[in-house]
Amino acid sequence: MLTYISRRVLYSIPIILIASFLLFWFVRATFDPTAHLRTSHSAAHAIAQERERLGLNKPVAVQWFDWLKHAVQGDLGRSELKRENVSTMISDAFPNTLQLIGWAVLVSAIAAVVLGVYSAVHQYSKSDYALTGLAFIGISMPPFWFALIAIQFFAVDPQSWFHLDQPIFKTIGLHSAGMSGINPDYFSHLVLPVLTLAVQIVAEWSRFQRASMLDVMSSDYVRTARAKGVPRRKVIYRHALRNALIPLVTVMALDIGLLFGGIIVTEKIFSIPGMGSLFLDALSAGDAPVLVAWMVVAAVFIVAFNLIADLLYGVLDPRIRLS
Amino acid sequence: MMRRKRVLALTALLALPALVLAACGSSNKSSSATQVPKGGTLVVGAEQGFDCADWIATCAGSAWGLWSMQQFTVPRVFDFKKVNGTWTNVPNILLTKMPTVSTVNGKQTITYNINPAAKWSDGQPITSRDFAYTWQQIVNSQGIIDTTGYSNIAGINTSDPHTAVVTFSSPFASWSQLFGSGFGVLPSHILQGKNRDALMANGYTWSGGPWLAHWDKASGDVTLTPNPNWYGHKPNLDKVVFRVQNDTAAEFRNFKSGQLKAIYPQPEPDAVDQIKSGVSDTNAVYSAETGGLEALWTNNARFPLDSKVVRQAIGYSLDRDAIVNSLFGTLGVTKATQTLNPPIVSQFSDTTAFSGYEKNQKKVDTLMKGDGWTKNGSGYWEKGGKEADITLRTTSGDQRREDTQQIIQQQLKTAGFKITIANQKPDDLFGTSVPNGDFGMFVGSQQATSLDPGNCSNFCSSNIPTAANGYSGSNVTRTNISALDPLLQMVDTSFDNSIRAASNKQADQLEAANMVSLPLDSLPDIALWNKSVVGPIGDNPLLSMFWNLDQWGLKK
Repeated sequence: MLTYISRRVLYSIPIILIASFLLFWFVRATFDPTAHLRTSHSAAHAIAQERERLGLNKPVAVQWFDWLKHAVQGDLGRSELKRENVSTMISDAFPNTLQLIGWAVLVSAIAAVVLGVYSAVHQYSKSDYALTGLAFIGISMPPFWFALIAIQFFAVDPQSWFHLDQPIFKTIGLHSAGMSGINPDYFSHLVLPVLTLAVQIVAEWSRFQRASMLDVMSSDYVRTARAKGVPRRKVIYRHALRNALIPLVTVMALDIGLLFGGIIVTEKIFSIPGMGSLFLDALSAGDAPVLVAWMVVAAVFIVAFNLIADLLYGVLDPRIRLS
Repeated sequence: MMRRKRVLALTALLALPALVLAACGSSNKSSSATQVPKGGTLVVGAEQGFDCADWIATCAGSAWGLWSMQQFTVPRVFDFKKVNGTWTNVPNILLTKMPTVSTVNGKQTITYNINPAAKWSDGQPITSRDFAYTWQQIVNSQGIIDTTGYSNIAGINTSDPHTAVVTFSSPFASWSQLFGSGFGVLPSHILQGKNRDALMANGYTWSGGPWLAHWDKASGDVTLTPNPNWYGHKPNLDKVVFRVQNDTAAEFRNFKSGQLKAIYPQPEPDAVDQIKSGVSDTNAVYSAETGGLEALWTNNARFPLDSKVVRQAIGYSLDRDAIVNSLFGTLGVTKATQTLNPPIVSQFSDTTAFSGYEKNQKKVDTLMKGDGWTKNGSGYWEKGGKEADITLRTTSGDQRREDTQQIIQQQLKTAGFKITIANQKPDDLFGTSVPNGDFGMFVGSQQATSLDPGNCSNFCSSNIPTAANGYSGSNVTRTNISALDPLLQMVDTSFDNSIRAASNKQADQLEAANMVSLPLDSLPDIALWNKSVVGPIGDNPLLSMFWNLDQWGLKK
């Protein structure tokens, strides 16, 4: 197993290196790190100095290598627009995004398994059709739209109906002003962004879980168990569900990586200072050092979860380990 | 063109500064100071964050930095108040009286009498040394956003701590901009001999204003608490929190749900739509009397707009009132602006200069045919085998400007002009294409950050960007009218406001006669606040609706 893990980790390193070079190159080609100086006093001189300082006159490959040398030591550069180290900016934003992703995955996983199993067990029933319909609505629901609808229905309208001073579910940030920590205030802020993130994931995963469950339910060992008189509930939860979870777990690991990119809209609408907000700010301001670092971190995140998916598959399915 | 001080700060959406004052909808809503309750925490929305808190550096261009933090912590020499219906500079509490302007040994001299009670939050007095320190930092540091006026200063006499005597090496008529709302006065006893940028860029704990500010850079939120050593009116509220809102639709919902008690949205289509759909339990001020002016800036040196006749024909091709009405009709702003000066300096402007330019196809045809143009098979004007093909730019992703652009394109096409839209990111547009003259026309805004008039930087021929000056001039429209230069120079150098006004009005008329560019609209201000918020709440064209937060209160 250790050999397998080592091999997979080693495979990931060149992928990350190539991705980081391509991303670095793309950002250099589309964003000028000295753009913010173009309107300053004595712009030409300031830009020339800054280009020299940042090494922008060197070939891109050399610039990337210089950047990489610092990046592996934790120095992701400096945002001159924000006057701050990029690694500090990312370490401030990353935990907020991880919280959102973590809660969204937890909620989605539980809901998807429950709904998927229920649909499979009640295949072609009215509730199965209803859940199928809802799943397709969920999959096609754009997060920016759903977020605004959720704010209207779960924050604005109840506050108005019940004449509350503040809505039950808050929609700005992860805490009220001056609050911190995990407390009721935190959860009241968490509900709607997590719901926004979860709605598409639950829809997708529940369909996957349903298909996987149906596949397992029709397998020989399940039929054998039923023939031997094992109670249906026990067959479903002890025999079928465990195996039906294997493909879902790997899909989850892959989707968690993709969530990293999909969280941008949610963070924007709910004013959560996470990686999504950081990306949008950097993109609109043309903050090249932040964009490079952000995309490389995102690439590492995605590669890492791909790796986890591979490892989980290896752990859950002995045939993968053997090969 | 992008300077903070002068007009034609063709700001990108992100840097749109001061919205303001009510002329349209309702006027300022007030309640007497004695009725304002004490205590409470007020949470308000800030449409944008800001990059840094080193206010004199290039990183600090965002208006929301000024509105949510700088104006409450950095002392300034002037406030901006409406006196007899006109926005006027009045001495801030930092001064004991209006600064005096005199000429000593042929040199312009300004004397600032500093309030002896004025002190920083640590109890140290605010002195003339702070003025001198601020000036030296602006003229001697790298990466300063604008040195205009400060570079004219020869020296500051600090022999009396309560009197700063500023002597100029060359006249600077707009001296009232100095040590004002943009830069203010910095604490020399804290910053002298240290790295100012490092000490301020990520926030600071000192204050010379009514509030202490804590800036959470990660979230962008600013929290204000009363400055215990403030020597003026003590704030009524215990705390004010500015929470950054990146999405206009969400911002309005957060306002409706009571999580935000006041918002100051930009006049973007989303905001106008939200207002149209109704916001209950709310006070509102919509104002067209602002520092913002949106215009169709034309490249006077590029074919076919290098012809005055073609520019005039463009002026007669557009129904500007219809454009303004479609954008801001909901806010009561329905008429196009008729001067290339922002509304807050209207006392210096001929506010009817461009009123002759109304949609009139006959005049277009007469002008164009008289200049030797004929219409080709595609219906476009053509001369010498060249079509009247104009590249129209604006900042990509700016919905309001893109909407404006679409209407302009359609109307000009009907009149026989081929318009090619080519939008760009703000940095590329204002940093490269505009200064390099790579445009035919563009939709952009000019933003005044003081109550001083002055369009010389934008229309004097000496300020045309060229390869020789590194494309650093602000006259990006390449206006080159010999009769205009002395008029605009007079506005910049005279100390007599009546002469400045007369010159500026003549300049307006010349600009209109030559159609150097075409004004579209003043960008209206939108101030909304919940009825639980009380006090003399209104708008200020330079400092936003939050300018007098110390007088606001919150009903229990």
